[in-house]
Amino acid sequence: MKVTFTLNGIPRQVVVDPDVVLLDLLRDEFRLTGAKQSCDKKGQCGACTVIVDGKAVRSCLTKVAKLDGADVITIEGLGTPANPHLIQEAFVLAGAVQCGFCTPGMIMAAKALLDVHPDPSTAQIKRALRHNLCRCTGYVKIIEAVKLAGEFLRGEKTPDELRPDPHGAKLGVSHPRPSALIKACGVAQFTADILAPGALELAAVHSPHPHALIKSIDTKAAEAMPGVAGVMTAKDIKGSNRHNYMVPDRPVLCEDRVRYIGDPVAVVAAETREQALAAVAAVRVEYEPLPALGSPHEAMAEGAPQIHSEWANLCLTQPQIKGDAARAFAEAGHVVEGHYHTQMVHQAPLEPEVCLAFFDGEGDDAQLVVVGRSINIHKHLAMLQEATGWEDMRYEEAYVGGQFGIKIDVTSEGIAAAAALHFRRAVRYIPSLPESMYLSPKRHPFDVKVKVAADADGNLTALGMDVVIDNGAYNSMGNVVMNRAMMMLSGSYNFPAVDARARLVYTNNPWGAAARGAGPPQVNYALESAVDRLAREMKIDPLEFRRRNSLRPGQSKSTGQVVDEWPFPELCDAIKPHYDRAVREAREMGEGTKKRGVGVAGGSFGIGGPNDQSMVAVELDPDDGITVYGAVADPGEGNDSMLSQLAADAMDLPLDKVRLVTRDTDHTTANGPAAASRHTYMSGGALLDAIRQLREAMAACGATTYADMQKAGVPTRYMGTRKTVVGTLDPETGQGPSFESQVHALQLAEVEVDTETGEVRVIRMTCAADAGRVIHPDNVIGQLQGGMDMGVGLALREEYVPGKTKDWVTFKYPTMKTAFDMDVIICETPRKRGSNGAVGVGEMTLVPTAPAVLNAIEDAVGVRIYDLPATPDKVKAALAAMR
Amino acid sequence: MTEVPEPRGGSGRELGLSRHYRDIAGRRVLFDNEGFLWSADDWTEDLAAALGAEMGLDTFTEDHWRVLRFFREYYATNGRAPLNRQLAAGTGMRLLDLEELFPGGIRRGARRLAGLPNPKTCT
Repeated sequence: MKVTFTLNGIPRQVVVDPDVVLLDLLRDEFRLTGAKQSCDKKGQCGACTVIVDGKAVRSCLTKVAKLDGADVITIEGLGTPANPHLIQEAFVLAGAVQCGFCTPGMIMAAKALLDVHPDPSTAQIKRALRHNLCRCTGYVKIIEAVKLAGEFLRGEKTPDELRPDPHGAKLGVSHPRPSALIKACGVAQFTADILAPGALELAAVHSPHPHALIKSIDTKAAEAMPGVAGVMTAKDIKGSNRHNYMVPDRPVLCEDRVRYIGDPVAVVAAETREQALAAVAAVRVEYEPLPALGSPHEAMAEGAPQIHSEWANLCLTQPQIKGDAARAFAEAGHVVEGHYHTQMVHQAPLEPEVCLAFFDGEGDDAQLVVVGRSINIHKHLAMLQEATGWEDMRYEEAYVGGQFGIKIDVTSEGIAAAAALHFRRAVRYIPSLPESMYLSPKRHPFDVKVKVAADADGNLTALGMDVVIDNGAYNSMGNVVMNRAMMMLSGSYNFPAVDARARLVYTNNPWGAAARGAGPPQVNYALESAVDRLAREMKIDPLEFRRRNSLRPGQSKSTGQVVDEWPFPELCDAIKPHYDRAVREAREMGEGTKKRGVGVAGGSFGIGGPNDQSMVAVELDPDDGITVYGAVADPGEGNDSMLSQLAADAMDLPLDKVRLVTRDTDHTTANGPAAASRHTYMSGGALLDAIRQLREAMAACGATTYADMQKAGVPTRYMGTRKTVVGTLDPETGQGPSFESQVHALQLAEVEVDTETGEVRVIRMTCAADAGRVIHPDNVIGQLQGGMDMGVGLALREEYVPGKTKDWVTFKYPTMKTAFDMDVIICETPRKRGSNGAVGVGEMTLVPTAPAVLNAIEDAVGVRIYDLPATPDKVKAALAAMR
Repeated sequence: MTEVPEPRGGSGRELGLSRHYRDIAGRRVLFDNEGFLWSADDWTEDLAAALGAEMGLDTFTEDHWRVLRFFREYYATNGRAPLNRQLAAGTGMRLLDLEELFPGGIRRGARRLAGLPNPKTCT
């Protein structure tokens, strides 16, 4: 049928099938990719929001057939980077743009609201943006951005008044992120936004079984289907077919066995994605189910089937022994024990695990280019080369719609690269949301038995822990997660004696890997819960108990590492007025079924772990600016701000004279992952080292410009490095080198528990954090807010259940409805070894959140939840048991 | 803590993940689990010769050194290993000849002898 409408002010006529939705028309036909797709067009995410006849609509749910005569505005119709709309400027200047995937939809929903209500209340904003999901911000800065946009539109403020002077101070100032405006204008190219006409579309067959032998794969029927170019199985992959992140245990496509629900088995390539998906259903795989090992204890049991022929199910064991814990427990005045369990969680970036692979050049000289969401492009390139048997390859990082650890390892890239090689064609793989969940790693579930002891004066004396980690079907970086947990086991506190053990175990669950914090959040939940219970049992104020037992310079962590700076007590002082206010308000609550509670929890998160190295090159440019070369991924945290502001400060340049080359393997240094909150410390440090060399070279020859350097015949490019201490934990005692620095946080949770329904509502979270000197305040605050929102999800709602969690609703994604008030207190203790005194903050923010919330629940109603998430059913059951 | 029986679930071994120190060429040097140097700065010609001898390469010709020098210089300038075509262009040698020149081929032979570390994972 023919439909006539106006699109961004231009009259359009289209002939479409009745079922075509506006999102597909915009992206596929008009090539307007500002509207994003995350939720398989179920209307769950709002990333595709546009305005139709003045109202915000989700374009994935809007049939084009109903648009006759309509006026449609997309993000591209609002403004451009050269001439942005005030709302787009407001989002940039408010620091509301992190990964940027949700941003265009947010802005369109905001515009529809502001057109009607130019001065909206928080409640009105929350309602208007209720269909729009964000994983990065915790929604706080988005709400602030809408209010700021209102001020701009009402003429009360102008962007120029708020925009920092790019020639002014570089550190401690929230200069607009280099990528923020193009994200706000919808022109930043995420992988699915890249045009690839003629590319084959891929879809994969995934195992429905947690453990089974593959007896046969019949592809004939699928291959005969319309548009199908072919079906690829493991035998078609010429390389090792193994992702070797640390252990070559994970196949690109399963060979003779599947090990978890979702393991990829075969790949269909077709002219269209719909044809590929249809053909996937026609691939016949004959499985012989095997006993599935659903927990580490099943997998470690005598006679349990071995999941990998080469390795035992018990992957690794790491004890940790410090002092004489047995004696300390025997002599302790007070001992508290508990058995805690954390759930499997999807990191839940909004962008699916999209990948594009194509050949650059022809014949023998063709280079295979893989475009995706990697946060460690050189490592992933090496893995893909080995897995596919094709060496001449390049990885390009597109803009990335959030990651939170999920891209520590290769997900869809192995399939796309192998398919491009097999079919000798460009291929594009846009996995559905369930497929993206199947392909990607998860947060490891931890089972933790914890025991803490204190003397009669309330001084902690001993810590015991038995940690069992569900590694899932493949290792990825499970050993790193375990070691990180052990290196931060004692949290913020001084435990003179420690007796602990961690075990990492293969199971037939989805494989675990990095997830914001990656290990420490799980053990810290148990530790901070136990510490809180001990304080309450001893009738010592929980905040005072933490302050009293803080580690101090000169004392050692559980690894035996003696620290020389530890500004945690100062955080206790900083949060004290908020804590006192919260306690007072909670106690003033009247009788009723809703009970208010207050909880605190701390966390001290290691930065600059042993054996790390970063390299960053700088080059003086002919215009006397500099270009920074380094694979420093920025999936939303603000590493582009960090690099450009550190460089501009060190070179005394305006920000627009600093260029970043960070996104492809042909032009960058191999630099390690955007993980472990490491880039500010590691790559920031390497950058400053490179600039130091450049400046010394300039000074040595009396040069002040590029021309002077050329004239003197002095090189203009310098390589900086940053290395950390080398060494490993002792395999018997777990004593040894640990992190070079720490970021600290203390969080205060105020919750309301409905004793009838068991429902827990977070009223407010307050975070006092010290990440050293702050480079970009809005970025730090944004990380703290987003991390707290994610931490509350971990505490109360989120869980990935294989085969059942298939979309954002079943995952219980945070929304405007679950959003809560947040306060942030920033303390700045410059770190001796930090990059200009700064360290990273991205993960720390989540580490104390769940225990703070669970401690608040106990404060409110007297029950302790030992098994995350604390769903209404669990709280209700605990209340019933207590009664 | 409560003792838990320690069956391993199958007869396989633990994951072989650890970096390890080796005494070689008169020094103590850290290697990754694939036998690559952990830090490119630990490389010396003596170390390369000692590693080569372990691989059955007792004598380094000028061709060997030319390849190793190219790897070293490329890494120092670019902070990454070259692709094979860059290696061929930089040394003026054919890839097949390069593969045959070093036991273990280009990556596991030449690149390892040149002391170029593997791209780092999260450590």
